[in-house]
Amino acid sequence: MIEFSHVSKVYRGVRALDDVSFTVEPGGVTGFLGPNGAGKSTALRVLVGLSRPTSGSATVYGLPYGGLGNPGTRVGVLLDAGALHPGRSGREVLRLGATTLGLPKARVGEILDLVGLTGQEARRPVGGYSLGMRQRLGIGHALLGRPGTLVLDEPANGLDPQGIRWLRELLRHLADSGCAVLLSSHLIHEVEQIADHVVMIGRGRVLAQGSVDGLGGGRSLEEVFLNLTSDTDRSAA
Amino acid sequence: MTSIPFHRLLLVETRKIFDTRSGKVLTAVLVALTVASVVGRGLVAGPRLFTLTGTAGIGFGILLPVLAVLSVTGEWSHRTALTTFTLEPRRTRVLAAKFLPPLAVAVVATVFALLVAVPATAVVAAVRHVPADWTVPPLALPGMAATFVLLTAMGSAFGLLSLNAPVAIVVCLTNTMLWSVVSRLGETGRVLAEWFDLGNATGPLATGTMTGGDAVRLATSVLLWIALPAALGALRVSRAEIR
Repeated sequence: MIEFSHVSKVYRGVRALDDVSFTVEPGGVTGFLGPNGAGKSTALRVLVGLSRPTSGSATVYGLPYGGLGNPGTRVGVLLDAGALHPGRSGREVLRLGATTLGLPKARVGEILDLVGLTGQEARRPVGGYSLGMRQRLGIGHALLGRPGTLVLDEPANGLDPQGIRWLRELLRHLADSGCAVLLSSHLIHEVEQIADHVVMIGRGRVLAQGSVDGLGGGRSLEEVFLNLTSDTDRSAA
Repeated sequence: MTSIPFHRLLLVETRKIFDTRSGKVLTAVLVALTVASVVGRGLVAGPRLFTLTGTAGIGFGILLPVLAVLSVTGEWSHRTALTTFTLEPRRTRVLAAKFLPPLAVAVVATVFALLVAVPATAVVAAVRHVPADWTVPPLALPGMAATFVLLTAMGSAFGLLSLNAPVAIVVCLTNTMLWSVVSRLGETGRVLAEWFDLGNATGPLATGTMTGGDAVRLATSVLLWIALPAALGALRVSRAEIR
């Protein structure tokens, strides 16, 4: 369970987040939808303690992320699938994660199977991976410690249609088994396909939130989204 | 709530030094250069154990600090800090775990140089039919290891302060060069270098002739070139926005 409570973040004079409040309940997938630059990544960085909020607080399981002890075993996080050392193999990336978390080596093989990377691919340096492969690796890394909460920033970027379907089924399965999933996206259709709740954000403010089916009140999610973000910058998404 | 034990962080940070392509290449270069320089010197200078062991140090003085710089700055140049500090939000623990392994590498490298120098000395003596010189001043080898540990620590400290590999490497290398110029600028320059040049201050360590005054001068250099930049860097990282 994730809770943002009146989180504001002023960075270099810019209000990147403005009184952001929402919760992510277990057993569902919440889509965090907004145009590029709306503050999605900033909010997620605040949540996992990489960035300090100017005011307000974000908690996981009712605790600040930094107070979770060995957080990787409780919260799976993927912030940027591109943030990898190009000279390190995919298997080694998972191995480092598993060692940090205190998991057996066998977990690495299980995760590779789960995300569909072959043994040969896993031995190659990630510098040669496509964005889709990096996303699969990053999602696998987030799942290493069998966390009850997942935080994924734009995990569908670079995935092909089969990949998106795979991600949808994976997240559905995790949510059904009680996981709280928060994923960000700037693409409406992705969120419609994958999420059952949606939090719309623009210029650092929460514009609307509710269930994917109920939010529009008859209108499509796209109409609602474009209406709400029409006055925000870079709303072409 | 169980936290991550420090030895696991230490293990992970040690693996990170060697598990990338660049890390493997740098390690291979370090090994090859050690063997080549020790054997080469043996052929020219004759079978003298202490001289041959010390020859490996010429490369160590440059390569070990570079290794340390890359170990620290890699997290920023490739933005893996995002993952590292998400798995262990207590950043100073990670930094401590990052600081130690390169120092151990410096000790291992010194022992390795000795291990290469022993057979090299024996073989050169046998081939040339001259008596081998096995004498090594008693404190010289630990002193040599300590010297490389300190130079390596300087690399880590500058890496931590700048979080930028090229900048840290250039500062490390020019620091040495700058002081060799300063030490030649008359009496004032010589005294300045004695007190503030880490390379100069570690000299008595390597020869095993440390006096009380030397120790104070060494402590001054260590404070200035290792403790201060490392502390400032750690403070900066622990407060920074990781992006």
